[in-house]
Amino acid sequence: MKIDTLFIDKAIPLNPEIEYLISRVKLKPRLIENTKLVYDFINDSGDPVSKAKKTLYVTKNKGAVVRQCPGTSFYTCCDYTILHTGTFCTMDCSYCILQAYFHPPVLQYFAGMEMLDQGLEKQFRQNKIFRIGTGEYTDSLIWEKLSLVPEFLVKKFAHQTNCLLELKTKTVNIESLLSLDHNGKTVLAWSLNTPEIISSQEKATASLTARLEAAGRAESKGYKLAFHFDPLVIYPGCEIHYKKVIKQIFDHIHPENIVWISLGTFRFMPKLKQIIEKRFKDSSICYGEFILGLDNKMRYFKPLRISLYKQIISCIKEYAPKLLVYFCMEDEEVWEKCMGFFPKRKGELGHLLDKSAVRHCSLNSSLL
Amino acid sequence: MSNPLHEIKIADIDLADQRYKISLSEYDISFLALSIKETGLISPPIVRPLENKVIIVSGFNRIRAYLVNNETKIPVYKTKPDIDEYQCLLTAITQLSFKRPLTHAELILSIKRLNKFLNEKQIRDKSPAIFNMELNLRFIEDLLNIGALPDPAPALIHNGNLSFKSAKKISLFEKDTIDVFLNIFSKIKASNNKQLEIILHIMEISAREGIKPKDLYSKKIIKDILFNENKDPWLKTRDLRTCLFEQRFPALSKTRKTVQKKITGLKLNKKIKFMPPENFESRDFNISFTAKTHDEFTANIRNLVDALENDSLKEIF
Repeated sequence: MKIDTLFIDKAIPLNPEIEYLISRVKLKPRLIENTKLVYDFINDSGDPVSKAKKTLYVTKNKGAVVRQCPGTSFYTCCDYTILHTGTFCTMDCSYCILQAYFHPPVLQYFAGMEMLDQGLEKQFRQNKIFRIGTGEYTDSLIWEKLSLVPEFLVKKFAHQTNCLLELKTKTVNIESLLSLDHNGKTVLAWSLNTPEIISSQEKATASLTARLEAAGRAESKGYKLAFHFDPLVIYPGCEIHYKKVIKQIFDHIHPENIVWISLGTFRFMPKLKQIIEKRFKDSSICYGEFILGLDNKMRYFKPLRISLYKQIISCIKEYAPKLLVYFCMEDEEVWEKCMGFFPKRKGELGHLLDKSAVRHCSLNSSLL
Repeated sequence: MSNPLHEIKIADIDLADQRYKISLSEYDISFLALSIKETGLISPPIVRPLENKVIIVSGFNRIRAYLVNNETKIPVYKTKPDIDEYQCLLTAITQLSFKRPLTHAELILSIKRLNKFLNEKQIRDKSPAIFNMELNLRFIEDLLNIGALPDPAPALIHNGNLSFKSAKKISLFEKDTIDVFLNIFSKIKASNNKQLEIILHIMEISAREGIKPKDLYSKKIIKDILFNENKDPWLKTRDLRTCLFEQRFPALSKTRKTVQKKITGLKLNKKIKFMPPENFESRDFNISFTAKTHDEFTANIRNLVDALENDSLKEIF
């Protein structure tokens, strides 16, 4: 969705970073002192979520710049580190949890690259491998069209040896990144789905082909890649469709350049259902066989998840037997039945991913 | 409004004209008739002259009670002949609402009729004086939406076959779908939560299968349940819910049935409870038993030990 309103926190200095952003957004900014004005502007709309997608608020990050992924109880987490550069998204996926996660949702850009710089310097000084991403509370590369942050991050990560930067996206906004000296430390990651799901549930995102072509271009510039099948959506014929997507990945990309592929079936906080029903009247995505999971999120009935995972994993392994495939938030039974093992110990999954990060991105192996 | 008291012939009352009738309760009038015989009429009905007859504004049951007592005359308050419809309606509603709280069905009927004279905001503002309570705007809008439901909705709401929440829910659907639910709730008897579950499952199955609720309702499996004249409405509700659950959650239902069959195959005595994990998300099966005596305890343990040899037990896990 196109941004049509720009609010900027009055306390933010109009430096080159902000001037660049204003020039890209091409809107006259409304300077405000009180965040409540933005909240009211969004909440007063009949559809606050849509309004929020078109309203950019430039402000300061008042919390931690670097934080641990919250994960969820009972299901195995990958110990990811989040770099907090902004919130929400201009694309409009029906299943997006961010619609229900923020109250209200606000498309925020956190100004102040020096804060990012300081936060990252601390991470770079630690004797530990970190996988750091900006795509948890927003899409990493919607910002590539608006700000210098993605470019800054790629350059920042290039010359250190303990942190991998993962930029996750459903866009093809990589133009400014292609010519950068990334030194193999940035992984460009695409969230993938079947063309059926992309066209019906992922409004305003790039097509599957476009995403894979972009991934191919990134690969040609030496970037390592990752793919995330999350959310996998179960519908009649989905297994065949997902297998076709996997084939397409390997038509475009060499397996050795893929750092990992993650899998996660659609799961959602119960309150998201109402939002989907209200905003996406034609979507039947929440009418699958969902049961209440142990973490109080709705999840597909486990045998259905296991069945789909098995087929997808087996298909990936046909093309790339050594490629690291992992589950995002799954339990012991799913791991055992689908992968034949379970990373039981705390941090074990994270360690597996760290090893792949070290191998693909030439990080310091002595830190493993 | 002060109306003069008259004694009129009951034969002069047009009993068929019920335009001001708000109370939907058709209770046994014999006690009221007896009370009037013993203590007299405490509060006379209000009637409105209309052409050469009078019509009842308030006091339908009192007039019925007089008829039961074989009286030919009754004291009434007669309104002025030129009184307007709105004033009569107000009288009818306030007479009842200041006597007892109106039921949902009566509120719906009252609001629907008032809406011919007042808009939603005016009804809200006047609600304490008319209904003896404050009604908010959203509630009034809900009542109006529900009031627009076709027959037999008012009767179903009145007799409890259609709850207020369910009525509110279906009032937002298109006409064909509304008809489906009115037909269903005419044939079953379910609590509010079960009604909402039935509505939810029908809407979600239809959405997932890309069909209209009308098409789902027309399926033989549903018709066979609803039109079975040998089953009472409560049993039909149970069967319908089971049928809908199996369609809404086919894999889960199948697994539940399979596991239950295997648990039954273990031939555990009735004191032993063997429960699978809820929705099979966790792997924790739960087993418990009760024993009043040492012998009972031993028998349960032996029963469980016997089950260890049963192949069904391994298959469950």
